[in-house]
Amino acid sequence: MIKIDHLTKRYGDTLAVDDLNFDVNPGVVTGFLGPNGSGKSTTMRIILGLDHATKGQATVNGVRYAELKDPMRSVGALLDAKAVHPGRTARNHLRALAATNQIKRSRVDEVLDFVGIASVADKKVGTFSLGMSQRLGIAGALLGDPGILLFDEPVNGLDPEGIKWIREFFRALANEGRTVFVSSHLMSEMAVSADEIIVIGRGRFITSGSVNDLTKNAEGTVLVRASDHDKLAQVLTSNHGVVRDANDEGLTIGGLTSDQVGTLAFDAGITVYELTPQRASLEEVFMDLTADAVEYGHRPEPAHGE
Amino acid sequence: MASESTLAASTSAEWIKFRTVRSSIMGVIVTVLLTVGLGVLITTLIRTHWSQFGALRVATFDPVSSSLRGSLFAQFAVGVIGTLFITSEYTSGSIRTTLTAVPNRFRLIASKVIVLFLTMLILGEFVCFAAFLIGQRIYLGVVPTASIGNGTVLRSVVLAGLYLTLLSVFAFALGLILRQSAATISVYVSLLLIVPIIGLFFPQNWQNDFMRFEPSTLGISMESPFAPSNTFGAWSATLILLAYVVGTMVVAVVLFQRRDAGSNQ
Repeated sequence: MIKIDHLTKRYGDTLAVDDLNFDVNPGVVTGFLGPNGSGKSTTMRIILGLDHATKGQATVNGVRYAELKDPMRSVGALLDAKAVHPGRTARNHLRALAATNQIKRSRVDEVLDFVGIASVADKKVGTFSLGMSQRLGIAGALLGDPGILLFDEPVNGLDPEGIKWIREFFRALANEGRTVFVSSHLMSEMAVSADEIIVIGRGRFITSGSVNDLTKNAEGTVLVRASDHDKLAQVLTSNHGVVRDANDEGLTIGGLTSDQVGTLAFDAGITVYELTPQRASLEEVFMDLTADAVEYGHRPEPAHGE
Repeated sequence: MASESTLAASTSAEWIKFRTVRSSIMGVIVTVLLTVGLGVLITTLIRTHWSQFGALRVATFDPVSSSLRGSLFAQFAVGVIGTLFITSEYTSGSIRTTLTAVPNRFRLIASKVIVLFLTMLILGEFVCFAAFLIGQRIYLGVVPTASIGNGTVLRSVVLAGLYLTLLSVFAFALGLILRQSAATISVYVSLLLIVPIIGLFFPQNWQNDFMRFEPSTLGISMESPFAPSNTFGAWSATLILLAYVVGTMVVAVVLFQRRDAGSNQ
């Protein structure tokens, strides 16, 4: 398992990771979710001993990564698929990696076969597409048959077939009792590939739990179509409701249950044609959770302004 | 923690990495061409023009260092080999993959330096002995020749090969500090070419004191049976160059241990 303990990382004035605490457990796929620039990659680099923590620490199987003997036999990682010398062939790249941890050479052919790039094993890595590079990176991570696997944004650059393959692959690894830790900035991707999710934003822990827990806690909305939208909006807003959206289809109301909306409409003498509770989509949950934590890009106006 | 077997493992991996990229192979070929090829050219030119040489030039002529002059060009090729062996890890980002496989940074650098030093020592000695022997063969019958059986001559040829070896390790250390191919090669070439030119602007007595510390002047001292004026003797020059290499390497390793490897800056 991976243990993150009061982990803090500062680059100059920028606080990239701010007092993170969490565990990543074996047997499940754990998604590590956050907008770009939220500190996911930094956290993974610190787990792997590439970057030094400013405060706190990250341990794998109870020790710091640098203390592992033959670390590839405990931890496999794919951080950046393109981080390979472009002039070396895939096979030679893997052979050199295998040699560092005294992994037998036949294992190189095994993993090349497994990820499906055996036919291009003697081509230079610089000629590879991003998808092929991802597969090579996964092959490298698997060389030591490790119990812990880390993948940073692994679906980037994969075609739909590759995405399907990698999801099933994560599932299979977790089912074998391995620890699988996968980062992504896409909630929808995590929703289908992860069991547990850890959400961070601006380097800070936001929430964690199963996919279901996260959506359950999120605010739902109610779609209501009625005889007088203007009057209904007035009634609902004066009773703690919030109009999220208004068009010909009806009003989207936040802050109230469908029961409450129906009762308020009845009391005001408004005829209701349609009343539909709406569960927040995963993407909306994620946007809500990280709205304050987006480092780059525009900040959405508060919905009340509409 | 770093047992012998694991140093052997990371060293064998670095050897695979060294010989499986074209830049190393090209660097080796260029080193051979420059040292041996230019050696043949220079010694042939000397042989054909020998009758026109004045008495002073004939009296001070050194058949050893003149046959090894190609190494002063090859020093740039070996510098590129040493540089790229580390900076390509940074330009491609593969340093991260390398360090996840070998997290002990000192051991990683030790492995790389072992591979680089041994490869370049074999290459350096090979090209210098070849250039010397071929050069003497070309001189034979027209120009005075030197025999490898002479201890001083043997020392000059051996130290010429060591000079190339040490320079490639020096470039490697610079590369580990600067982490960029272009920057490293610029600094390396500047130290070998530009510094001597700047030295020419200093007063003569400063020049005499200053120039002999310059790496390529040390190289000339190392490969000459008799020290040219205002230079160090061969062994002193070797020790000074070794001190440069070790000093730069210590700085490089200390920085490497302290820096983050994930992001490039």
